[in-house]
Amino acid sequence: MMLWVRVGVAATIAIAAAFYSAQAQDPAPRRTAEATPRLADGTPNLGRVPGEKGVWDVPYIQNMGMRIPGPDGKTAAERSTPGAGRGGAKAEPDVPFLPWSRAIYDYNSKNNSKYDPEGYCLPPGGPRMMATPYPMEIIQQPDQKRIVMIFEGATHIWREIYMDGRAHPQGEALNPTYLGHSVGRWDGDTLVVDVVGFNENTWLDYFGHPHTDMLHVVERFSRPNKGTLRYEALIDDPGAYSRSWTVAWNIPWSAESELTEYICQENNKYLQKLTDDFGEPLLAPR
Amino acid sequence: MRTTFLAAAVGAGLLLAAVPVVAHHSFSAEFDADKPFKLSGVVTKVEWQNPHTYFYLDITDEHTKKVTNWAFEMGSPNGLMRNGWTRNTLKVGDVVTVEGSLARDGKPYGNARVVVLNSTGKRLFAASSQTANP
Repeated sequence: MMLWVRVGVAATIAIAAAFYSAQAQDPAPRRTAEATPRLADGTPNLGRVPGEKGVWDVPYIQNMGMRIPGPDGKTAAERSTPGAGRGGAKAEPDVPFLPWSRAIYDYNSKNNSKYDPEGYCLPPGGPRMMATPYPMEIIQQPDQKRIVMIFEGATHIWREIYMDGRAHPQGEALNPTYLGHSVGRWDGDTLVVDVVGFNENTWLDYFGHPHTDMLHVVERFSRPNKGTLRYEALIDDPGAYSRSWTVAWNIPWSAESELTEYICQENNKYLQKLTDDFGEPLLAPR
Repeated sequence: MRTTFLAAAVGAGLLLAAVPVVAHHSFSAEFDADKPFKLSGVVTKVEWQNPHTYFYLDITDEHTKKVTNWAFEMGSPNGLMRNGWTRNTLKVGDVVTVEGSLARDGKPYGNARVVVLNSTGKRLFAASSQTANP
């Protein structure tokens, strides 16, 4: 086995370089020259134009620490600066870790995200819904004062955003859930969604930034042209971070695509054979 | 039907950038991108299932002639269909060549990036989770 391992290293480096140059930036713009589609009342249409196909081709954003806009509005990923890799918390000075979240993040870095809840087929929570690489759609129903988002991936999830002006439930009426409780409003051409009520069973991203049930996310969705969804999320979690921080990326429109079925839970061999740090199976009797 | 070793896979890397990515578990917790492989063998079983399709090859070592049954992980059925697959693309008895990354645990197991059907030369991407944005 060692022979082909050795032979393959050079090829891997070349392949990695090709990947990096092609993927360091968001995917090439598609239909970016076409104007923002609008509903009859002038509201931006964040979904399909009648008679056409199309889905949002959600990118695989692995590290939110690379997606924090700087003074120029661009993120480290958009500036094409090399990523911090798995450098742990010390490689991400812009993420305002608390000591415990720093320690957990370093642990997740050291074990290559072995215990990522998405690997268990649990849903993404918070902004990771827009960072898990399966397509999604946004369906506006202004007559019903709601917006529904449907996601092919992670676990075939959907979320409802109440647009009727209601407030979040208070106290015990707010039941912690994977996707939280979402209320929305339009700020000009931007859909602003306020989300609270997350449980603690998810990570913010694949790299393993943790959060608590104090997590409060403010999302901003805009469609500057037909081919682009601009996504921004304020991450406000005083349980895990010393101040709020914002992440942002573009999501391209895939004009000829439709959602298909993906059911993560069917045959998850990864979880079936996952062992803990002591080599014991996570699922089998001990 | 023999084990082969190849270093010149650079062109494949360039092509892969355009392929839709799917992801489920941590790629790097299970596989080592620094251990690429190219192996040929005979299909013995296909599990066309979520979240990953698996197929199994009998691979004969060119030196020892010993036959080992290898397992290979690909993407989900819907991810594979977006890359031109159907559930009948691989059939038991087919001879194929696989490129990808080896498992970290040293077992006969790998993450498949590309599968070539030796009978037609048709080259299919395996909806691997290896590629990603930072």
